[in-house]
Amino acid sequence: MHWGKAWPWISTVARLGLSAVFLVAGALKITDLDESARAVNAYRLMDYDTAKVIGAIQPFLEIAVGLLLLIGLAVRLSAAIAALLLVVFIVGIISAWARGLQIDCGCFSSGGDLAAGRTAQYGLDIARDAGFLLLAGILLWKPRTRFSMDGLLMGER
Amino acid sequence: MSKGNRDRLAAKRIVEQQKAAERRRRVTIWTSVAVVAVLVFAGLIGWAVVAKQDSTDASKLTTPTVAVDDGTAFAVGTGPVTVDLYEDFMCPICHEFETQAADTITQLIADKKITARYHPVAILDRASNGTEYSTRSAGAAAAAAEGGKFSEYHKVLYDNQPEENSDGLDNAKLIELGKSVGLGDAFATAVNDKTYTAWAGKVTDTFSSRGYTGTPTIVVAGKQLQGSNGSIPTAAQLSAAVQAAAG
Repeated sequence: MHWGKAWPWISTVARLGLSAVFLVAGALKITDLDESARAVNAYRLMDYDTAKVIGAIQPFLEIAVGLLLLIGLAVRLSAAIAALLLVVFIVGIISAWARGLQIDCGCFSSGGDLAAGRTAQYGLDIARDAGFLLLAGILLWKPRTRFSMDGLLMGER
Repeated sequence: MSKGNRDRLAAKRIVEQQKAAERRRRVTIWTSVAVVAVLVFAGLIGWAVVAKQDSTDASKLTTPTVAVDDGTAFAVGTGPVTVDLYEDFMCPICHEFETQAADTITQLIADKKITARYHPVAILDRASNGTEYSTRSAGAAAAAAEGGKFSEYHKVLYDNQPEENSDGLDNAKLIELGKSVGLGDAFATAVNDKTYTAWAGKVTDTFSSRGYTGTPTIVVAGKQLQGSNGSIPTAAQLSAAVQAAAG
């Protein structure tokens, strides 16, 4: 099989996978924005009023990025924004780890401090986010995908 | 094919290529603009939702008249050392702390060594299948405080703590427990009317804005008290911290 022909399909899988990641992550937080605010606050990187705004905006942004990737609009830019968000999340987790905080990363949940006796899984969280970053990287490199708005607008068959 | 014909075809192909490139460029620009617009819009929605929620909460806020600390806590005792206890009625570790330290706290209050300030926060609403037990129980505790029975009700709620991730106690049960400690109709009305729901949100916000993120959080004379290895403090550690703060 010719790699040149395979790339659009590989990229399509990456696009839909990354889309699902963002949609799920956003949907799990959007139902309780107060909790989302507390999850951001648990990182202790900003005051609570700021955390509240970030915590509210974040799930909406995640869902928007997820939808944009789903329909495949400006895939390279969408993937770049997804990658940027992922980098911010990874930096946040590393900083929590470095400061010895015991928190749930709040990646796919509402997060917060861990109950006594439970240990944080920062290494796993970072590895998982790095995997998602790889998907975004594929799209940055090869943004042409099947079943996308981009393809439709460009007049590709 | 004549030379002129070939040239014309070549020229036509170049024009078509230029047109296609122009189209790609246009599509890229406009789709990028659309993406940015969608993201800005999504961010604005999130911001607007929170702003609206804040103003709705503010308009619905009923602060219990007996509450202290900017209306976010209930004080028990009159001792010189302030002990702040931030607890969620759904939190099993709070229950654990209460089980092992309640007698000590009661004694410290009776000995006029401490003023205990209870902050009923609601951070575990997700753990009651959507019935928001944390908020409902915190609101009920506020109603009990208005009825002069905070300590009694606080104790009975922990004695009857529901399992995490169950429906929690329903309002009828919350009222029944209130009656068992001598609360009356005003209490029942406040529970049923959700009078202190917004207030529970304010207590929780205050807790978060002070940089606390988990329950129970125990603060002795302004200093957070933690057990060894980040576990909950023991009754002995609490007594020692109070002793130290009293000087």
